[in-house]
Amino acid sequence: MSDTLVDIKKVVKEFHTGKVAVQALRGVDLVVKTGDFMAIVGPSGSGKTTLLNIIGALDIPTGGSVNLFDRNLSELSRKDRADLRLHQLGFVFQAYNLVPVLTARENVEFVLELQGEGNGRETTALATLESLGLADLADRRPTEMSGGQQQRVAVARAVASKPKLVLADEPTANLDSENAETLLKMMRDLRDTHDMTFVFSTHDPLVVSYASRVVTLRDGVVVSDEQRNGDEIGED
Amino acid sequence: MATTSTLRIAWRNLGRNRKRTFLAVSAIALGQLTFLVISALMNGYGDQYFNSITGPLIGHIQIHAPEWREDRSIDLAIDDLGARLEQLRADPGVAHAAPRMYAPVLAALTDEGFMGMVIGIDAQVESHDSGLLAGQDLSGQMGERRVLVGSTFARKYDITPGMELAVIGQDVDGSIANDLFTVTNIVSSQVDIVNSLGIVMSIEDAQEFLLMPDQAHEVLIHVKEPEMVLEVVAGLSTLPVVDGLEILPWREIVPQLVSMIDMIGAFTLIILVIVFIAAAAGITNTMLMSTYERIHEFGMLLSLGCQPNRLGRMVAVEAMLLGLVGVTVGSALAIGVVLLTMDSGLDYAALGGNDASYQVAFQGMQITSRVTPKLLPTDIGIGIVAVLFTSFISALWPMLHIVRLEPMEAMRS
Repeated sequence: MSDTLVDIKKVVKEFHTGKVAVQALRGVDLVVKTGDFMAIVGPSGSGKTTLLNIIGALDIPTGGSVNLFDRNLSELSRKDRADLRLHQLGFVFQAYNLVPVLTARENVEFVLELQGEGNGRETTALATLESLGLADLADRRPTEMSGGQQQRVAVARAVASKPKLVLADEPTANLDSENAETLLKMMRDLRDTHDMTFVFSTHDPLVVSYASRVVTLRDGVVVSDEQRNGDEIGED
Repeated sequence: MATTSTLRIAWRNLGRNRKRTFLAVSAIALGQLTFLVISALMNGYGDQYFNSITGPLIGHIQIHAPEWREDRSIDLAIDDLGARLEQLRADPGVAHAAPRMYAPVLAALTDEGFMGMVIGIDAQVESHDSGLLAGQDLSGQMGERRVLVGSTFARKYDITPGMELAVIGQDVDGSIANDLFTVTNIVSSQVDIVNSLGIVMSIEDAQEFLLMPDQAHEVLIHVKEPEMVLEVVAGLSTLPVVDGLEILPWREIVPQLVSMIDMIGAFTLIILVIVFIAAAAGITNTMLMSTYERIHEFGMLLSLGCQPNRLGRMVAVEAMLLGLVGVTVGSALAIGVVLLTMDSGLDYAALGGNDASYQVAFQGMQITSRVTPKLLPTDIGIGIVAVLFTSFISALWPMLHIVRLEPMEAMRS
């Protein structure tokens, strides 16, 4: 496989509200490469989340083509898309990321279990939490953690199986700036140490400041794709 | 291992809304409690009917001359009685074989006569628990023209021990049979005809009075294992001892009473269905509310790549755990209720506000207002299976909803 993880060409996504059709994406072209730390930005309604959902195989486009890990998204069944998400992608959502009745360790273990990992699950889960400095949260349930801690555990869960691509939808939206910064540093370290790729949909300037690449959407169209010197970013 | 986490999540989810879980568990427990207590009472009634039916009047098996049951003619008798009894009692399945004779007579203390019934018995055999004179070995007070008189009969005609009773009837030849008998005791029996008409004498005296040596009108058999009646009948039917005679198990003798017992089973089944339809509504409601509250969570899990059928399984396991907790509580309560009442029994007369319990006779059976509940392990098992099945069925609606969920729609909810 090449270092291109996602190849999107002329993607259109139309939603129907009653008899009215709304185009959320109007011919988007985008390539996500290994090692990208990409922020997709734009005003509300610009199509950020729609684009992220398509990259995450959570939605399929109305037109155009999407290749995820050299597989054509339109040709995948519902089950195949779920398998793709499970084995190739990691997700961090804006809020309510964790299963509330499971501890941090169990949340991480649960996804490993879904992926079919056997007896080593607990060890892997603990090692992941430990490597991210979250060992002391291992036995806490989400209700016993702050929002920032929950998001960091969600990142641990997303990266535990070392997926090639992690997608995060407004991951800092509910965090104060200190927690947001801790989270972003953690994700950037993971990118650097494990050769992972991160794509964010965000309004947060702090996330943008950490991004190595900023894609701006407006009215469903990519209006700019700016490559930045990632190592210096976020250190200001 | 997937089962472990599914069970863990399902179990902990029950604790998310404890009030709702408590209410659902209470509803299921109440259902199981109701079902088991009613079953226990019905079993108690069933046993009472069974013991009464197969007790002293009808027994487990009867042997008579053909057509005696229809005609009750005095000459339709079993002959060669002694030899036959010996062979019958030698059968390993037979507990008691009691010969009996019956003849309607006129009895008199003075000038006034009244209707009675000569009942010839082997007093020693009839003293066993299901005998005509259960628990009363009165063989020493019978024979040599000494008789016992039924309690109601004695009260009605002012008969007391020591009196002489003139008995007039018809012997097997159609001639007048008459003799004087001394009343030695007044007896009460579970069989109403003994109490109301009985002039109970030894079988030898009855044979002599009716000119029927070594004969009887019926032999009533109680078997050692009541559930083996048909096997014992089949075994005895092949023996020469019953040649030319009719041998019948109790179910063929009183089919109308059998259908009463069968009706108890049907009634219990109806209760089971009603109770569990109500429980199903409770579980469905709980699971639907619980599912709708967690749509976002399900969406998140679907987004992570969890297959919809795995989520459906989680909901089914949760519903079944809910049912299992409820059915366990209900079973424990029912066992407690039955243990508390199994010695004294439950008296319907007292529950209905009457001062004293009652006893009624119906077709020769004695039915009392006091019932001893009897809980069978199979009833508990049926309740558990029914609740688990109900729980699974109740989970189908939320499961169908979940397996159709699209991750992003669910996440947006």
